[in-house]
Amino acid sequence: MNIFRAGKLAVAVTALLALAGGFAGVSAATASQPPTAVTGETYVIGTDTTFAPFEYRENGELTGIDMDLIRDIAANQGFKVEIKSLGFDAALQALQSNQVDGVIAGMSITDERKLIFDFSDPYFDSGVQMAVAEDNAKITGYSDLAGETVVAKRGSEGETFANSIKDEYDFTVKALADSATMYDDVKAGNSVAVFDDYPVLAYGINQNNGLKSVTEKEQGSSYGFAVNKGQNPELLAAFNTGLAELKDSGEYQAILDEYLEQPAPAAASGFFGLLSDSLPALMKGLGLTLLATGLSILIALVLGVLFGFFKVSESRVLRGLASVYVSIFRGTPLLVQAFFFYFGLPQLTGQSIDVLTAGVLTLSLNAGAYMTEIVRGGIQSVDPGQTEAGRSLGLGYVTTMRRVVLPQAVKIMTPSFINQFVMTLKDTSLLAVIGFAELTYQGQQIYAANFRTGETLLIVAALYFIVINLLTMLSNKLDKRFNK
Amino acid sequence: MSTSANSTASVGSKISVSGLRKSFGSNEVLKGLDVEITEGEVVCVIGPSGSGKSTFLRCLNKLDELSAGTVIVDGFNLGDKTVDLNEVRQHIGMVFQHFNLFPHMTVLQNIMLAPVELKKQSTADARATALKLLDRVGLADKATARPAQLSGGQKQRVAIARSLAVNPDIMLFDEATSALDPEMVGEVLQVIRDLAAEGMTMVVVTHEMGFAREVADRVIFMADGLIVEEGTPAELFGNPQQPRTQDFLSKVL
Ligand SMILES: Nc1ncnc2c1ncn2[C@@H]1O[C@H](COP(=O)(O)OP(=O)(O)OP(=O)(O)O)[C@@H](O)[C@H]1O
Ligand SMILES: [Mg+2]
Repeated sequence: MNIFRAGKLAVAVTALLALAGGFAGVSAATASQPPTAVTGETYVIGTDTTFAPFEYRENGELTGIDMDLIRDIAANQGFKVEIKSLGFDAALQALQSNQVDGVIAGMSITDERKLIFDFSDPYFDSGVQMAVAEDNAKITGYSDLAGETVVAKRGSEGETFANSIKDEYDFTVKALADSATMYDDVKAGNSVAVFDDYPVLAYGINQNNGLKSVTEKEQGSSYGFAVNKGQNPELLAAFNTGLAELKDSGEYQAILDEYLEQPAPAAASGFFGLLSDSLPALMKGLGLTLLATGLSILIALVLGVLFGFFKVSESRVLRGLASVYVSIFRGTPLLVQAFFFYFGLPQLTGQSIDVLTAGVLTLSLNAGAYMTEIVRGGIQSVDPGQTEAGRSLGLGYVTTMRRVVLPQAVKIMTPSFINQFVMTLKDTSLLAVIGFAELTYQGQQIYAANFRTGETLLIVAALYFIVINLLTMLSNKLDKRFNK
Repeated sequence: MSTSANSTASVGSKISVSGLRKSFGSNEVLKGLDVEITEGEVVCVIGPSGSGKSTFLRCLNKLDELSAGTVIVDGFNLGDKTVDLNEVRQHIGMVFQHFNLFPHMTVLQNIMLAPVELKKQSTADARATALKLLDRVGLADKATARPAQLSGGQKQRVAIARSLAVNPDIMLFDEATSALDPEMVGEVLQVIRDLAAEGMTMVVVTHEMGFAREVADRVIFMADGLIVEEGTPAELFGNPQQPRTQDFLSKVL
């Protein structure tokens, strides 16, 4: 896709269409509209990764209200769309830098956003609604919440609303990170009710998530389709026209009903259905998990050997350098390191960083610190008499290390290396928080859409278990083979 | 062989030590030693535990840094920063109380390592030399064994063969028999005795007074980081002059 295509091309295309009247006639015949500025154009549309029911994946395909709407509007208006599932923040950034032409991502129209984007007419009225467990007959309104705990999504409208009425009705608000977790919390009885966006809640109930809504939705924000300020006005106009036509034809209501009203076909499939549905995505995640682990361990090994030698060297500067490195990365949580490299570093350097690079950087620097200690410990656990024997024969430091100390140290270090390898593999799951699409992340995406948290996590855990044990067995075999 | 060959020390002097001091932190362990050892001489060093015998030996090949004084070995001044220590150490073999054999190598590999790594010999020549040395210490049949499969006495004989493989002209022994069961002491002492008979210059730290009396040309008695008394075995054992020496000998003899 071309970054500069947007405005300039619209003009060019209009001119071209005027010239090639015959071609325009043909393409107009397929749409219900006479040719317009967007006819035949292809627009790149950014969206979130998972925000059911607006966008989520089903059998690997992007689907949801937003997806159906934008595709139907495009067909109605005679243009084509190329959907990019980027994640919410990334999609907005891509829009600002003209890497995408528009964004549809269940985005509320707010005054701040209006300063940088142009919004379409609202295509959906959201609002907060309260739900309780299906079998809960006691709580039917806000007044039954006295003395109870409710959950809401951190930083969401639901949280704002719940907090605004908690004193009046005397309940406590607990904030959690995502919808699936909140619903599980209510089902487990840890909290009695959840305040969530009406469409998300309705979709979840639709998917038999074990909850029921008990209040009317509170009036909330409206969702809009956005283009960059001043860019692609013809696309925005086409969206508005198309939306109006879909509303008139009843197609719009049919889309909403499909996701919010009609109950899902009875609990899709059993455990094995879920397994076969989710396995392709999970295997892709597993591939990324192994890739990140492999790269990180290799780099960590290099770092560990380098700084490990620094640690046992006679130079105070080198020893100090290694100690600082180790204490920084062992003295801070991996999660904080991941956030720093993915979000913090780009802000400091102005250089954006892709998630795999940030993830591998985090894991390798972190594992490198532990490797450094393993290497140092290994070298120091070799009897100093060995070095003395080597040196007294006239062998140099390097030769003594290489031929005498290291072969013995490696043997001592190998079990710790294998252990670190397994730790790093497991640590990759923490990268889910920065949106690295590894195994855990894939699992989260799946249960965010189907609410089958327990079963999905069981499959994810089983995959980790199998892979880790296979790799451990293999490593131990190699260890026995080469370090007898 | 060496360009920095002996010019200062007297002819025939192999080791020349003067004013040698050594401290570990604030703890002065050697308090000024002066020793001359000539070619082919066998010097035994005796003394109570902690008197600095090992430290003295380790200063002779600079396994320990010198704090003060000069040590000249085979014409190399160890205090001179430009001296290639690795080369000096090829002139001066060292045998340790705890053998320090390389456990991940066979006996043959232990002995061949230095000659091959130092490019003194081809692998084939080094192997031939190693087998000859093993034969000389009576272990020709152990070439392919690992150190762990050997008795203490056998280990120490391999360690001696390993030191000899770089063809040194001085040998240092630091309590080479102290870690051995009594029945194995004899076989190791026999190897050292043979070396003495061949004219090897040797400094032997030992608790075996009988052995010192038998092979030493000179015996040095150390206490508290100083040389208290030295002389021929007959003088030192037969007629010690210093009360410290008399006291020590009365306890060990
Ligand atoms: N690396 C070291 N760091 C600090 N102190 C040391 C070190 N090596 C030796 N010493 C100290 O130096 C003194 C002399 O030690 P040395 O090993 O030379 O004695 P020794 O005569 O060989 O004794 P032994 O008969 O027990 O072997 C001792 O007090 C010892 O604690
Ligand atoms: Mg000692």
